[in-house]
Amino acid sequence: MEAFLAGMAILADPFALFMIVAGTVIGITVGALPGISGSTTIALMLPITLGLDPVVSLAFLGSIYCAANFGGSITAILVNAPGDPSASATALEGYKMAERGEAGMALGMSAVASAIGGIFSVVVMIVAAPLLSRAAYSFGPPEYLALALFGLSMCAAVGGDSAVKNLIAATFGVLLATVGIDLTTGVERYTFGFYDLTDGVSFVAALIGLFAVGEMLDQATQQMGKPTLLKMDAVRVPGRAEFRKCNRSIWLGSVIGTFIGILPALGATAAALIGYNETRRWSKHKHEFGHGSIEGVAGPEAANNAAVGGGMVPTLALGIPGSATTAIILAGLIVQGVRPGPHLFNEQPRLLYAVFASMLAANILYLVIGLGAAKLFARISLIPAALLWPAVFVLSVIGAYGANQSMGDVWLMMAFGILGFAFRRTGFSPAPLIMGLVLGSMVEESLKQSILIFGDDVVGGFIGRPIALVLFAITALGLLVPPVLRATARLRQPQAREV
Amino acid sequence: MQEGNQVCRPAEARGAAAWHRRSVLLGAAGFGLLGAPSILRAQAAFGSRPIEVVTHAGVGGGTDITARMTAVDAAAALGTEIVVVNKTGGSGAAALAYAAQRPKDGHTVLLLTQTHLLTMLRSRTGTQMEDLVAIARATEDPQVVMVRADSPLRSADELASIGKERSLRFGITHVGSVDHVATVGFAKAAGIRPPTAVPFRGGGDIVVNLVGGNIDVGLLNFAEGEAQLRAGEVRPLMVLSRERMTSLPEAPTARELRIDFVSATTRGYAVMKGVPEDRIARLEEGMLKGLRGPTFSNYLKTSGQALDSVAGRAEWQAQLEAFSNEGRQALADLGVAR
Repeated sequence: MEAFLAGMAILADPFALFMIVAGTVIGITVGALPGISGSTTIALMLPITLGLDPVVSLAFLGSIYCAANFGGSITAILVNAPGDPSASATALEGYKMAERGEAGMALGMSAVASAIGGIFSVVVMIVAAPLLSRAAYSFGPPEYLALALFGLSMCAAVGGDSAVKNLIAATFGVLLATVGIDLTTGVERYTFGFYDLTDGVSFVAALIGLFAVGEMLDQATQQMGKPTLLKMDAVRVPGRAEFRKCNRSIWLGSVIGTFIGILPALGATAAALIGYNETRRWSKHKHEFGHGSIEGVAGPEAANNAAVGGGMVPTLALGIPGSATTAIILAGLIVQGVRPGPHLFNEQPRLLYAVFASMLAANILYLVIGLGAAKLFARISLIPAALLWPAVFVLSVIGAYGANQSMGDVWLMMAFGILGFAFRRTGFSPAPLIMGLVLGSMVEESLKQSILIFGDDVVGGFIGRPIALVLFAITALGLLVPPVLRATARLRQPQAREV
Repeated sequence: MQEGNQVCRPAEARGAAAWHRRSVLLGAAGFGLLGAPSILRAQAAFGSRPIEVVTHAGVGGGTDITARMTAVDAAAALGTEIVVVNKTGGSGAAALAYAAQRPKDGHTVLLLTQTHLLTMLRSRTGTQMEDLVAIARATEDPQVVMVRADSPLRSADELASIGKERSLRFGITHVGSVDHVATVGFAKAAGIRPPTAVPFRGGGDIVVNLVGGNIDVGLLNFAEGEAQLRAGEVRPLMVLSRERMTSLPEAPTARELRIDFVSATTRGYAVMKGVPEDRIARLEEGMLKGLRGPTFSNYLKTSGQALDSVAGRAEWQAQLEAFSNEGRQALADLGVAR
């Protein structure tokens, strides 16, 4: 408790507080800009923070990390360009809401859900990090295979006009995931000799193309009538009714996000996608999904921000970073003389609690900024399309180039833009494609790793893994139960009428 | 907006750069009037532009951080800015291709690892070892043979006896990588059966799967397994360095156990051949000052690496050539040489 208070005392230090506020503002800004991510910013800031007190520098980096994940949702909602890959699920529903003139509602809900998810995961991290970090060890390739299949099993239900179209898009995504050097054989697949493809299809380029460029092309074909403009006072932010509706999605997203964040091989993007799937599965308003569901904003936003605190668990408790961002924060910790590991929680509690305190503060700060500025940000969607979309396009090109500093990625983005446009015209959704792209390579890699690990007895190997078996069973139930229920309901109905 | 670019511009260096730029400009103008050879005019004065350090690694990995930590003090020593450029793709091929097309005026420095050497040997690039000139070595992080705390492989002898009965599962990063080459080389030197190489995305995944019991052995850097070593969850069987490591004083070297094998994650700086000799000398001096400066020294110490990781041009060049020869043989053994 003493250490907790000493850690919290960081918030009373004016300089430290200034750095946390600065980190939050920087984080929201870079998070919102496609192409410059939180991880890049933290890498750029790392050498600068070396001269600072370790506690202050970690508080600064931690607050950028928290805020950047929220910032990604702003551009996702307003212009369909996810500022961060983890905001792609948010774009699916949030942009549809903005098109209806409910940008303020989506932004406000994103801020609240993000903050709740973020704070939930930080609290979990404070209370149970050393304990929960053990979960990372119980997840080997067979368990990841089961989890990735569980995520993929929902792809037919999410997104476009029909289950068949969704499956086609998802299969295409899985196919795209095979591009690049194969991890287990070292063979190049579908790279056509381009260096840009050896590490696989650039995720940032694909997302920006599918969402932002696809939307721009679509807008370009529709620019006939006068754009409808909304007045400032017409911008509504969410009220009690909306929060009551999203309550369940937010908590579901928070728990899923924290859990997935703890697993080093999965990050905020996977957390948001699985959060989106589950929000839809447990929602009472399934029909709204795909047409601008506010729950579809709340669930994934809570999940991707909860993955931030979750991601800190293995980083601090095991010294194993789950993402590029946590890898840099880990390097920052090590250079400052902090040795991560289970003992960290006993040896340097003051520093640890200062990190917690700063992450809590950052979550509250971006909530205030996000809610306060929601009405203002929402005005962006009122900019005439002829001015807005070219500007978005310029940002998209810079964003696609920036991630790997390669022109190849820009061409890739253009190709995905055309694909995104074609999708829109033919009733396909990018959602299943992204799911296939994110989870497809994990299915393939973890299956091949499992086979290598199990050797000759693959079936026996899987039977000996209870966690994997449970996940396989849940996946099977999720696929089989709805059709069975539907069939029995159809059988019962006529009988009920007769009685 | 340029991702991965980081500028270190200490105040005193800025002044020095401006002064230097002015004097060089004056000098160049003077030579121009005297009808100096065109080469002097063709090349930008040294230090007149930021120096680009090109790495094949994405932002955030050990290689990227090495570059950024060097840049802090090297920028001051060289009197100019240092920008880290991440050219990922093709296991170093993209970084090599980028460096090859830049002017050879000393403003483009490659951060080279064994990965680049293997890539060149697999002839994925126009650039070969002969086209590179070493500048300075930055890190030499020995690999440690680690097993789970309760593993039946309690000693090097047991590793050898069990390894002769069945093929042990070693965690590696992708096939044909430096780790893979080291694993095969180690198995050969230790006289065990060819191991089952299970590829993972990175060192962190290997540690998790080692503790989780999915693999038998991992060749890891000290820092990658430090938390688990300290928690007593993994044990070092031996270190693959020439001398014992100060961070793991009890672990014997492989050579002490009569396994003649040495392997380390090595990173250092190099430029393309064609850079004028005087600039190479200045780069070596400046980079070494950066590598021996407080920031980088502290980084080496905190990540459990020896300070003598830093070495000058002559030693680094010899080592690169030796690597290149060993790598050729190893790739042929793996059957992945092209």
